[in-house]
Amino acid sequence: MATFKLPDLGEGLAEAQIVEWHVKVGDRVAVDQPMVSVETAKALVEVPAPFSGIVCALHGAAGDIVATGAALIDFDDGTVVGSLPATGGEEFIEAATIGVNRDAAPTRGRAVPTARALARHLRVDLDGLAGSGRDGLITLDDVLRSARLPTAPAAPPKLAAPAGGILQPLRGARRWMSRSMTLAREQTALSTVCDDADIQAWRQPGGYMLRLMRALVRACRAEPALNAWYDPAEDSRVIFEHIDLAVAVDTPAGLFVPVIRNVEAKSPQELAAALLAHKQAAHRRGIAPEDLRDFTLMLSNYGTLAGRYATPQVMPPAVAILGAGKVRRDAVVAGEAIEAHLCMPLSLSFDHRCVTGGEACRFLAAVIADMQAPE
Amino acid sequence: MAQGWEMQHDESVVVIGQDVGANGGVFRATAGLQRRFGERRVQDTPLAEATISGMAVGMAAHGLKPVAEIQFMGFMYPALDQIVNHMSRMRTRTRGRLSCPVVMRMPHGGGIHAPEHHSESTEAMLCHIPGIRVVCPSSPARAYGLLLAAIRDPDPVMFLEPVRLYRAMRQEVADDGRALPLDAAFTLRAGSDVTIVTWGAMTIETLRAAALLDTQGVSAEVIDPATLSPLDDAAILASVAKTGRLVIVHEGARNVGVGAEIAALVAERGLYDLQAPIRRVTGFDTVMPLFKLEYDYIPCVQRIVDAVRLTLAE
Repeated sequence: MATFKLPDLGEGLAEAQIVEWHVKVGDRVAVDQPMVSVETAKALVEVPAPFSGIVCALHGAAGDIVATGAALIDFDDGTVVGSLPATGGEEFIEAATIGVNRDAAPTRGRAVPTARALARHLRVDLDGLAGSGRDGLITLDDVLRSARLPTAPAAPPKLAAPAGGILQPLRGARRWMSRSMTLAREQTALSTVCDDADIQAWRQPGGYMLRLMRALVRACRAEPALNAWYDPAEDSRVIFEHIDLAVAVDTPAGLFVPVIRNVEAKSPQELAAALLAHKQAAHRRGIAPEDLRDFTLMLSNYGTLAGRYATPQVMPPAVAILGAGKVRRDAVVAGEAIEAHLCMPLSLSFDHRCVTGGEACRFLAAVIADMQAPE
Repeated sequence: MAQGWEMQHDESVVVIGQDVGANGGVFRATAGLQRRFGERRVQDTPLAEATISGMAVGMAAHGLKPVAEIQFMGFMYPALDQIVNHMSRMRTRTRGRLSCPVVMRMPHGGGIHAPEHHSESTEAMLCHIPGIRVVCPSSPARAYGLLLAAIRDPDPVMFLEPVRLYRAMRQEVADDGRALPLDAAFTLRAGSDVTIVTWGAMTIETLRAAALLDTQGVSAEVIDPATLSPLDDAAILASVAKTGRLVIVHEGARNVGVGAEIAALVAERGLYDLQAPIRRVTGFDTVMPLFKLEYDYIPCVQRIVDAVRLTLAE
């Protein structure tokens, strides 16, 4: 900063009176620019700027008497490049300390990042959690242990095979069945409802599969909610117009479930042909992968072997499966008498997360109504 | 002031640079020194940064302690040859027989409406050079104490003076010859929720942001490393261990900035203390704009507050 003092204005006078300032604080002035008018005893004089700079302070107001040699004006000549703002009145108020206060020991758990992310996902509070890693580091296992998880199934104990058994690793369809059934059982809320269809009135016995398929088509028309996929992640379901029916086929190599497409649009002859083709393909283990996928409904006619009622397993994302048991002659109340009628036991399993009991029972009723028709 | 004290008390201290003598330096940092100590100890040089740094190396080799001024950090590049090839390696090259007690003072950063190549913050370039210290004070008192320490240190120190701080605020500084430690960080504000590491003029915006956050119930700890190379690793790690969150604020461009080194340090040695990813608030990866836009480039209070908020939301 530079201070310009009132010069001797050349007349040997000791003082001058300020008449008018031509500049104000903050102005940038150039050399020789008039800054102030002063009046001496003899004349009105314009005082020019002695150098360029920014005005920081004016000493005195109009009317004030200034002695020759006294401070008149302060310039900031701070830098040759750019502009430094005049120093504000603001004080540097700070309480800087050297280093960092380490007394405040962290109470928070130290955790590996993946454990921290998992903890957030599972809503586990890491504060105060004792870590089992080095220096109390919280690991993934620590988080999992303190998370309220649905009790993970304990790893099945290694079986000590008694002498005489033959070890058979599960391969192919059997291995796939193990996986998919475990998953299906964990995921679905399985409910099963059972009833009989009185098929005494049938004009021609046999041909159960074709009748069952027709009954399913009609039941889907009556109650479409069971011909659907359920997506729990999105809380949504898709109800299908067409029916792609998965049919369980038992083979020595395991269970196969090939899919007959568009059952609702096929003639009985076409359905019979498709069924036969799939069965043969299953037995020679030659089903194309695309014929095992994307079914909308399932049917299992286990009654060809044995069994009355069952709890068939729904396979997500489908929501229903119909099981048909062994046809038998049973005592039926017909009018006031008891008669022996041919009856087919039916078991309908559904995923109760997505299908209501009412929908399931209306569906089953529609199946029975169609099954009981004479032809 | 620090230069004056040290020249008074140590006859081997000399000041060199363009206009440091009669003119008192581009920012008047050496005003009056030539009148006090004469032209032998306060030497005006030509406009030639390679010469200034080369002279400093030679003077240091002959037992002087030169304090050389480069008018702006943007003019240091001709001097880098001497800095990299001689200054930084004098000690190792001579197997410890010679050290190089030079201080290179350079105005640093923007914010005073200077042409844009006067206003960049390229401390990361210097920090990458082994064998030199890089120091950047953030208050008049620390400038005094750290400059004394830099002059007294037997090895070369790049002393970056944030231009915005030359006149930003007033602070009474006792001219008592007491140095502050090099290689030690300063806690400008103690806090418990988040650590903000910053230096130089960015301490202005950062401390304002911390005050604003305080009114919103967020307790920010502001750490100024002051010595940017070598960093006070322990202080930064201790603070992050305490708060679990780290935001780094610097004026220079983001890409391979000093903030990246600090982030890497904490990722390598403090990762398990982190509760949220590290965030950086920096200048943009472009050249400093012309001065009308320089405050769009320099991180503002709001950007710092936003980064802290995002970090706390993790």
